[in-house]
Amino acid sequence: MAASGKKHVRNTACVIPGGFTVLSLQFSPDSPAQHSVFVKEHKVRAERSSGRPLDRTLFVLNVPPYCSREVVRELFSIFGNVSSVELRDHPGSSEGSEPKLSRFFRPAEKQGFKVGYIVFEKSASVAAAKSHPRHVPLVVSTDQRPVKTGVQKWIQQYSQSFIPPDKLQQSVDAFMQDYDKRKEEEEERQRNEAEKQKDDEEGWVKVTRGHKGTKARPHSEAANHRALQREMRKKRRKELMNFYTWQHRNTQKEHIAELRKKFEEDKQRIALMRAQRKFRPY
Amino acid sequence: MEELLKEVVLSEHRKQQIDSFIQTVTKLIQTVPKTPKVEVNDMSWLSGAVKVPFLLLPKTTKGKFCMAPPASVDLIGSYALGTCIKPHIRVDMAVTLPAEVLQPKDFLNQRYPRKRALYLAGLAQHLQSSSEVVTLRFSCLHGNRLRPILLLTPSGKDSSSFTVGVHACLPPGYFKPSRFHPKRNNIRTEWYTGLKTSNPESSEPPTPHYNNSILGDLLPRSHLQFLSAVSSKCSAFADGVALLKVWLHQRQLDQGAGCFNGFLASMLLAYLLISHRISSTMTAYQLLRNSLNFIASTDLTVSGISLAKNPDPTAPSLADFHDAFQVVFVDPSGHLNMCADVTACTYKQLQHEASVSMHFWDDPSVDGFHCLLMTPKPMIRTSDHVFQLCDLVKLQSSCKKQNLLCELMDHSGDYIHTALPFILSLLQRGLGQRIHLLAHSLTPSPVWSVESEAPKYKTQPPLSFGLLLNPEISAAVLERGPPADSSKVPEFRQLWGPRSELRRFQDGAITEAVLWEGKSMYQKRLVPKQIITHLLQLHADIPESSVRFVGALVDDVVKMGREVPSTGEEESLVVVQSYDDLSRKLWKLEGLPLSITAVQGAHPALRYTQVFPPEPLVLDHSFFDRDKISRSLVPKDVKPCPQYITPITVICHMEGSGKWPHDRLAIRHIRAAFHISLAELLKKDHNYTCRPCPTHLDVWKNGLAFRIQVAYHREPQVLRERVTAEGLLVVRDNEEAQALEMATIHKPLLTSMLHGLQQQHPCFGAVCRLAKRWLAAQLFSDEITEDAADLLVASLFLQPAPFTAPGSPQVGFLRFLHLLSSFDWRNNPLVVNLNNQLTAADYTEIKNDFMASRDSLPVMFLATPKDKKLSLWTRRAPSIQMLQRVMMVAAESLKVLECQLMDGSQMQDVRVVMRPPLEAYDVLIHLNPNQVPLLGQAVDPPAVTFNRGVVPNGAPQSGGPLPVIDYNPVTLYLMELREAFGDLALFFCDPYGGTVISVLWKPKTFVSAPFKTSQITARTVEVMGEEVKTIPNFGAILEDFRVLGKGLVKSVEAKTEKWAF
Repeated sequence: MAASGKKHVRNTACVIPGGFTVLSLQFSPDSPAQHSVFVKEHKVRAERSSGRPLDRTLFVLNVPPYCSREVVRELFSIFGNVSSVELRDHPGSSEGSEPKLSRFFRPAEKQGFKVGYIVFEKSASVAAAKSHPRHVPLVVSTDQRPVKTGVQKWIQQYSQSFIPPDKLQQSVDAFMQDYDKRKEEEEERQRNEAEKQKDDEEGWVKVTRGHKGTKARPHSEAANHRALQREMRKKRRKELMNFYTWQHRNTQKEHIAELRKKFEEDKQRIALMRAQRKFRPY
Repeated sequence: MEELLKEVVLSEHRKQQIDSFIQTVTKLIQTVPKTPKVEVNDMSWLSGAVKVPFLLLPKTTKGKFCMAPPASVDLIGSYALGTCIKPHIRVDMAVTLPAEVLQPKDFLNQRYPRKRALYLAGLAQHLQSSSEVVTLRFSCLHGNRLRPILLLTPSGKDSSSFTVGVHACLPPGYFKPSRFHPKRNNIRTEWYTGLKTSNPESSEPPTPHYNNSILGDLLPRSHLQFLSAVSSKCSAFADGVALLKVWLHQRQLDQGAGCFNGFLASMLLAYLLISHRISSTMTAYQLLRNSLNFIASTDLTVSGISLAKNPDPTAPSLADFHDAFQVVFVDPSGHLNMCADVTACTYKQLQHEASVSMHFWDDPSVDGFHCLLMTPKPMIRTSDHVFQLCDLVKLQSSCKKQNLLCELMDHSGDYIHTALPFILSLLQRGLGQRIHLLAHSLTPSPVWSVESEAPKYKTQPPLSFGLLLNPEISAAVLERGPPADSSKVPEFRQLWGPRSELRRFQDGAITEAVLWEGKSMYQKRLVPKQIITHLLQLHADIPESSVRFVGALVDDVVKMGREVPSTGEEESLVVVQSYDDLSRKLWKLEGLPLSITAVQGAHPALRYTQVFPPEPLVLDHSFFDRDKISRSLVPKDVKPCPQYITPITVICHMEGSGKWPHDRLAIRHIRAAFHISLAELLKKDHNYTCRPCPTHLDVWKNGLAFRIQVAYHREPQVLRERVTAEGLLVVRDNEEAQALEMATIHKPLLTSMLHGLQQQHPCFGAVCRLAKRWLAAQLFSDEITEDAADLLVASLFLQPAPFTAPGSPQVGFLRFLHLLSSFDWRNNPLVVNLNNQLTAADYTEIKNDFMASRDSLPVMFLATPKDKKLSLWTRRAPSIQMLQRVMMVAAESLKVLECQLMDGSQMQDVRVVMRPPLEAYDVLIHLNPNQVPLLGQAVDPPAVTFNRGVVPNGAPQSGGPLPVIDYNPVTLYLMELREAFGDLALFFCDPYGGTVISVLWKPKTFVSAPFKTSQITARTVEVMGEEVKTIPNFGAILEDFRVLGKGLVKSVEAKTEKWAF
């Protein structure tokens, strides 16, 4: 807290080494304690995703659990209009590979501290956020827009957990139709692949590289393992053991070393057992 | 075995110490000065500092006495034989009275015992005045007040290491042994009662116990010679005796009045050697085994044994001994019964112990050595029920009531041991088939200092009796007697008194019967208590107030039910019946696309082990808000939290079919579709209110909530499969698949297995409930899960050695605590052999696997037939630190509880062990009681209760709006706290009505760390030049505790004296 005391006087943004600006955040106007939220412009070279434009995205660390996306949007709108907010458990690239799920089937979100990616409409807002002084805290819950926590929130959660069966059925049907369609497409493609590999009327087979993951024979790890073992066995059958003298000597040496090691281990184990097993009856 | 012997035998150094001490004492004793002859009654020659160790009852007797140096001083007993063992080293010395002290007729009317006591007092006086610094105390031999002994303890640093017992005894052959035939009288009634009677000597009642006690003094030297002769023949004799002694000591059979002491043990071995049942070349191990086998198979109460080879004609026959004593084991002389004080019950107990020991000795699944010799068996942990007679003075009146004057005279006024055999046989008759064994504690020999008077009988500690119940019959409320016209009716009526009445039964028979009260299982378990108090009151004049029954004191903490107190058996039964009904209905449903292959319960309530089983409820609808669309009830935030309704999990397996998709998400959707169609069918056919969700289906049925989960047996496999970028199909275990397997396969299996166990052992469920209540109360319920706790308890029933399977909840609970605290979790797996499926080979396999990969396995390893290598139930928790704490608290609880249960004078509050110490925690979050839905289940029930929207005494019905199911603010709050601050702190709470959440910071929390974007949770920064350190923002965290639990949290108490921020 010593650092914050110093910054108080100067009325400027508190920037720490590493490029982060420290903002304070408190739950309600009369809260006695404040959280420190760390913000920085989002700068990752490798990322090319459209969701986080480099110049307009603010990277926020340590967002408390009671701040939902809506709350964060409200909080940061003082720096300018917010176009989107993404909250995640850990920093990292955005993903979107999973097929779109209806909200009933999405896994429950973790309610911990989050990291956020806030995309502003203007890049000036990022700078505004970065220069916000530390001693003026952001307030989460005010009279105008109260944030529900505790019992109220749980009751709300409980009543939201009701899903009308027809809607649920609808979403299931929709997903399954989609799934069937995808599956059909997949099958169609495999059929095509197989067709291509058949020989034409003159007996020629056209060999193509094909798609990734579309081998005619589906193969699995277990099958690979089996094949590998077969090879090994074959090899071992062929190999001559103890043919040369040095080979023989080496194996003997190894054998004795192994025995010695085992003996030592056993001795240690017995000593350990004796030490641990108490023979004092009372 | 050899290691154990090394631990118990005396070291050379110690022997030297003892020898030198004995030499000095012997010298001292031999220089006792002579005193002039006085009357026995005249004790003025003793200085005031030493009192006579004898209860003078009646006051006077005739005879002369004087002090003189002893005729001889010798070592006798175990030390002389070399069979002495640690830790209570007693060296026995026999001081032979010189002839001038004695008179020929001294055996009459306690004259000799009194002289002996006087002589010891004289010795004590002499030793006290001498220079050698020793502590002098009196005691008596095996609680027999006629035979006082003088205990010498060397003072100084090794004061507690050994004691020397000085016995005064007769010169050999001073009296004729035939004088002490068990049918002869040696205490005249006239002298004893002080009344004039004109009985000739022949009609006087025999005094076998008195005779026996004097005879015992004639023979110690010859016994020693006999034993040393035997032991010289057999090399392992001393070791065998030592082992037998350890075995007896662990079973508390070797000390006190009427014990089976080390002397008897060596005599028994000698008998076996002489009768060639064991050969002299056997090892100590074989000696122990054969002697236990002999004890188990021979009943000395019916067919006594004798060591006398060619008894002289004057010696009494075995039949004579059987008439006078309960247990008969005659010494080499043929005159003395060495087991005179042993009651039949004690011997039965010994036999029982021996047969139990023999039973598990060969069992490869048990660590026989450990059970046999290393595990102590105190009565409170051995017997199912224990009761104590507190006011021993009351036994005097029972002696009177039963006309036991002659026996009282025989025991020289020791009314406890006079009345004991009578009470035991009374109880044995009354309890009959209900018990396997009736055991009683052996009164320890009192020890008192030489300056004080000999203590009275009534100052002895209370007598404890232990019952080993026969679980099938012990709880029967009806005692059926003989038919009305039978000749046995008077006998039955005499036994039961006014409680016996004529009853007509459904099969038409009219018989005498006694009906005891008891509606619930909890009350029925106390039927033995009713019987005992009734019988003791009726026949022995012992009021109920002086009987302390400690059979079910602990059960209180899981008591529920308002009108009829019960411990949850009946409630569980209702749940199980309701579940059976539901499962039948599920099976019969028609119109599902795939058929149901199995319906399995997966909830503790369905195996009778839920701490507080759910009860059918009727709800007050006006208490709740309504959800408009789904017609469900929703809690109101201004009212107290509604009653918590436990969802009872039921797993419903669906038939496998090619139609099931091979994709995790698709399976999930199909399951949801099944939930919907099940809900529709149940609603249509049976009018149950249902709520389908993607993950489960809640069904509201007769006031109970069931949560049905559809399962597909290949789903875990599908979850494990993954296609890599190269198109390779790999199988990788992951947490999701494990969790699913746990929920749909392992839990139902465990539930059905434990359900079966409950059918075998009626009190299994109750023990589980107690154990889990304790774990929860001590805030460990997150460390040792319900399933793990149930398995731990199951192991007590499946492998009770060296005990028998618990027959009452209390004893089961005590053993659970003992198991937790004493099991060597580091080096041993705990194998729970459910359904007896594991063979000896499996045991070794489990053990070997365990040893091979100990470090990677959970700290608490539980192996079951279905899970030999992984210990599924304890994989996540406990951690090593928590296990250590659990063990420590368990040991402490056990100590406190056993003390309380066995000692009636202590504060009687068994709940002490259920109150966790809160000082150890850093922050305490106090909760608002009205938002804690399970408040009524707290260890200390609260004074105020809140309306929770339940109509009392309603008849539960199906249908209607769906109630609030599985809504518990405390669990929701805990979940949020753990998700937000799980890295920084641990949170503990009693799930059953706890109103405090205790928080413990993790030690690494306080270490300031460098700034990292991934480790910044709830931290703030400190800038030091170029370096940035992060420290937890404690102020804000405490504020967050309040914010997150708004409405639930009453106050947050930070104990900043232990940590500062």
